[in-house]
Amino acid sequence: MRVLRPDTLDEALSLVAQGAARPVAGATAFQVLWAQGIARPDALVDIAPFLPAGINRAGGSITIGAGTTLETLRRAGIPLLSRALEDVAAPGIRRLGTLGGQIGWGAGCLLSVLLVLEAELETTHGLRPLTDFLTRPEGVILNVRLSEPTEDARLVWRKFGLRQAFSPAMLTVAGFRQPGALRLAIGGGLVAPRRLPLSEAAGQSHDTLRRAVEAEVEMPDCPFRSALWRQRSAARALAQGLFPQTARTTRRTLRPLPRRDVPKPGLLSPDGPDWYTRPDMARKARGEMPYLTDIRRPDMLIGRILRAAHPHARILSIDTSVAEALPGVAAVVTHRDIPGLNGFGIVFQDQPGLCADKVRYLGDAVAAVAARDEATAEAALALIRVTYDPLPVVEEMAQALTDGATRVHESGNLVTDIRLERGDIDAGFGEAAHVVEDIYLTPRQMHGFMETEGGHAEVLPDGTLLVSVGGQHGARDRAQLARLLDRDPSTIRVITSPTGGAFGGKDELTVQPALALLALKSGRPVRLQLSRTESVIAGTKRNPMRIRMRTGCDADGKIVAQEVDVLSDSGAYASLSPGVLETGMEHAAGPYLIKALRTRGRLTYSNNGTNGAFRGFGANQMAFAMECQIDRLAAKAGLDPAEIRRRNLRDPGMPGALGQKVAGSERLEEMLEAAAASPLWSGTSDDGEWVTGTGMALIWQGNGLGTIPEDRGEGALRLAPDGKIEVLCGLDEMGQGLHASLRAVVAGALGIGREDVRPVTGDTGRAPDSGSTTASRGGYVVWTIAQQAGPVLSADMLQGAARLLDRPVTELTLVPGGIGEAGRNLPEPILTFADLARRALPSGLPVAHVAFDFPKSDYTKGNARFIFCAGATVARIAASRVSGEIRVDALEMHTAAGPIIDLASYLGQMEGGLVQGLGFTLTEDVLMKGGAPLTRNLDTYAMPTQRDVPRHLSVTALPDLDPGDPYGPRGAGELGIGGVTPAIANAVADAIGHWPAKAPIPPDWVQSRMETR
Amino acid sequence: MIRFTLNGEPVEIDAAPDRSLARILRDDLGRTGTKIGCDIGRCGACTVLLGGQAVNACLVIAWRLAGQHVTTIEGLDSLPVSKALVQGMTEANAFQCGYCAPGTMMQLAALLTDEPEASDDTIRAALEGNLCRCTGYHSILRGARRAADLLRAETQDKD
Repeated sequence: MRVLRPDTLDEALSLVAQGAARPVAGATAFQVLWAQGIARPDALVDIAPFLPAGINRAGGSITIGAGTTLETLRRAGIPLLSRALEDVAAPGIRRLGTLGGQIGWGAGCLLSVLLVLEAELETTHGLRPLTDFLTRPEGVILNVRLSEPTEDARLVWRKFGLRQAFSPAMLTVAGFRQPGALRLAIGGGLVAPRRLPLSEAAGQSHDTLRRAVEAEVEMPDCPFRSALWRQRSAARALAQGLFPQTARTTRRTLRPLPRRDVPKPGLLSPDGPDWYTRPDMARKARGEMPYLTDIRRPDMLIGRILRAAHPHARILSIDTSVAEALPGVAAVVTHRDIPGLNGFGIVFQDQPGLCADKVRYLGDAVAAVAARDEATAEAALALIRVTYDPLPVVEEMAQALTDGATRVHESGNLVTDIRLERGDIDAGFGEAAHVVEDIYLTPRQMHGFMETEGGHAEVLPDGTLLVSVGGQHGARDRAQLARLLDRDPSTIRVITSPTGGAFGGKDELTVQPALALLALKSGRPVRLQLSRTESVIAGTKRNPMRIRMRTGCDADGKIVAQEVDVLSDSGAYASLSPGVLETGMEHAAGPYLIKALRTRGRLTYSNNGTNGAFRGFGANQMAFAMECQIDRLAAKAGLDPAEIRRRNLRDPGMPGALGQKVAGSERLEEMLEAAAASPLWSGTSDDGEWVTGTGMALIWQGNGLGTIPEDRGEGALRLAPDGKIEVLCGLDEMGQGLHASLRAVVAGALGIGREDVRPVTGDTGRAPDSGSTTASRGGYVVWTIAQQAGPVLSADMLQGAARLLDRPVTELTLVPGGIGEAGRNLPEPILTFADLARRALPSGLPVAHVAFDFPKSDYTKGNARFIFCAGATVARIAASRVSGEIRVDALEMHTAAGPIIDLASYLGQMEGGLVQGLGFTLTEDVLMKGGAPLTRNLDTYAMPTQRDVPRHLSVTALPDLDPGDPYGPRGAGELGIGGVTPAIANAVADAIGHWPAKAPIPPDWVQSRMETR
Repeated sequence: MIRFTLNGEPVEIDAAPDRSLARILRDDLGRTGTKIGCDIGRCGACTVLLGGQAVNACLVIAWRLAGQHVTTIEGLDSLPVSKALVQGMTEANAFQCGYCAPGTMMQLAALLTDEPEASDDTIRAALEGNLCRCTGYHSILRGARRAADLLRAETQDKD
């Protein structure tokens, strides 16, 4: 691309007129188009120097230079326009984009505002009304003229996107009302910007305006929002904004009456003596954390992966000869370069490292290239010739299971089928006074870690293959690579930390096979990082589930029977999806006693991407259904949400859902009463548009991998030569606070300072296999390493010190910094750890290595958990009568996950889990069509922003354990996300009288349920 | 050749006019403190200061750089607010994985430079384009608030 810089505007215009170049100033609007795949022009002509910039307000008229940035306008205090700009893009983009670009682009959010302000444009083709320019966009815009609205004007602006802020517009509306004047406009995204003349003539009141707009507008449909939703939202927003209607009565869930005689959890506060600065925090705040995708060395090649051209096809041939001949290409690899088993997968090895005969989703890796630079690597990818024979695409779970359905794998589309039956289900429903049933649908949520999958690989001088890619279980990654490469695992070193977020999405192998093969074949270091688009297409997602749940209770609200039928979409490969479904099924009764239970869960292959582990792991999906069912029964039985749960709650010490023995320290009752006592139940409101509601959910989350998979951990403590106490742990630091936690447990177990401890993690070359950093198991693992290895290391160090100091060991103790004298109050070391290490012990530096099993239950007919943690979530929401949007005003989380290892990490897990759950509940879903994701980046995949997050977010904890409980801290990683969806759904039902059964909760569903006519 | 100033040092690079500043920083100059999370202006991880203004480096294309002053996270210490900002965010344990941190820090550095008295609402609005997937944002807000408090204390000390 060339950028032309003429000396005069006339010269610029003549270049544009000749069709030689496109005019550009800020170029931000262009980049939105480029991101959508619109081709880049060959040449741009820079008109920025000729564009007036600045705002001139005089005598009731406003003149704005086309080169004025959007952020300048936002701060200018222009009625309606500046307010609207708060909702346009985000500050960093508004500082680059210009008003001229907004208009010239033709789809900018501001057009509806400018239309109602009757903007006129000074262009190189003369002064033209905006409406005229929009139909005939000729000439370059120089200035925009508006008349200043007077004080008595009633103004309305609404932008509706995919979330509360920073979203592509699904619809914008703007309105202006003064005695004798009514101006209305719509626009935003696909909605062609226009005034609404018929409605302007007809709108005399709320109702007439609303009806007139509904009649006048014709709206487009898109996969994200329906035409009907757009039509209704436009009509209601304009009617409510210009002719506000006041509150109406709504129906309410019965308010709980809390019991006061149970122990209360305490509010967690980031102030106070238990708050420690995390060891990684300063480096992260300074941008100095060396992520594995940040490594740049002059000798590194750049890797790229060729993905499938079809979501489902046979591969007829792969020809890499032309690509290999391209100068600068160091290696091209295909399935032919895989010496071992061409399959990986944590449960079944059904996913090829590089596809040989078939592709099953658009993210399937077919080949990979390493070249001297990215341009060459990309050019080489384009030269790889793959011929395909496309196959029918398996899109629907029900379709996948029909006879004669196209098979994604030879084994058939049914991956697993899990059944459980307990008690007499028919007799149970026979006793029921109330029965509720619905089908709950859950989203294909994307992990959305900010660091996409990537890293680097090389063969070290000693022949070791080093693979450095963010992950969640280095030893398992190594085992999978060893099988694929037919290498002894001891010749592979895998580094997996630090990584920029994982949430389960880096549990399975990602780019490791391609990177390893490229490094081996080229003999040079190779780096590779997926673009966000490639990550969206190829990365693992959360399994979408279809949960049919039928639940009956007797007249007293006691649940007598429940039937659960689940279909879960595995996508193209199994990965951990069988485990996810199994975990979901284990949580099918929640924390309740249900005497007659029948469950069935089926996992199906499809060509819809590939799915697997994601925080919550099936339990949060099941809790959505279970916790809504129980609220629905409460409404039928005339009970409040807390009372019906009290009547059904399991008693401490009872067997678990599968009949297995479970660990003690159950705190469900305490969690329930904390939720019942929440202040969020009082003070509901209805301002005519927004109706508030409150809801709760209980959480009972299993920890660890369960009875069937091997679930072991190893770790070690040692005195390092520089005097640090090293804790060697194979878990990964993905942001959850592993290092802070390791320092805390080791310092606590040894009685030393946190700063004496140095964690060594996420590297198979330096730390033992501690198992996976998943399944809420990390807390137990780090605690156990310290509990078991601590006394051994302590005794060794004290004995060494006693020899050096020539004193009885009983007179010595460990203190922060070194060895101190026992029985003294001053924790001053008389021998520092550094001196102890330097003056070496005869036997070398002390090391204490431990290996242990994660605590397991006794039930092995199915996979069952032994350790559970408890929680409760209370949500306060507001539902919009205008748009059906749900705004979450408050989330309150009560937790009982045992002793808190590190307060900052624990609080962070809860807050982060809640907000990730908020996204699941309201805005996040990767929509698929024909096996292709409809969203390719973070523009239309709407993770919560600052503005989506509730103002009030509080977390409490009840950290005590039963006397003699030997299991220590419970898992904290998944508790936060566990109950947020049903709590919000129950709050929505409180506000509107209907339970949403689909997540994310569709605004058009809410809107139609709030239909008032 | 495009010449601009990066963290106070003159830089000269040969880049296509439509290559983004984010790519130039990470891949051409090896300054990997700046992160790329989406490459289309939708996550804010690449936020840098361009002439003192916080912008998405992935949306700044090379031809717009000529003669400009760019400050990245590597140049954070050159900003008067940096000490309080780093201290506030660190003590509040504002981040988790930290991948959004460079962008968030630069956004806040620009905000607190312009508005040391920024209210909670102003801080929230300034951070709307900086996605964080780990924290749920409240820790970032607590850190920013703490940084603003520290700045106020610094100013009072000088008075």
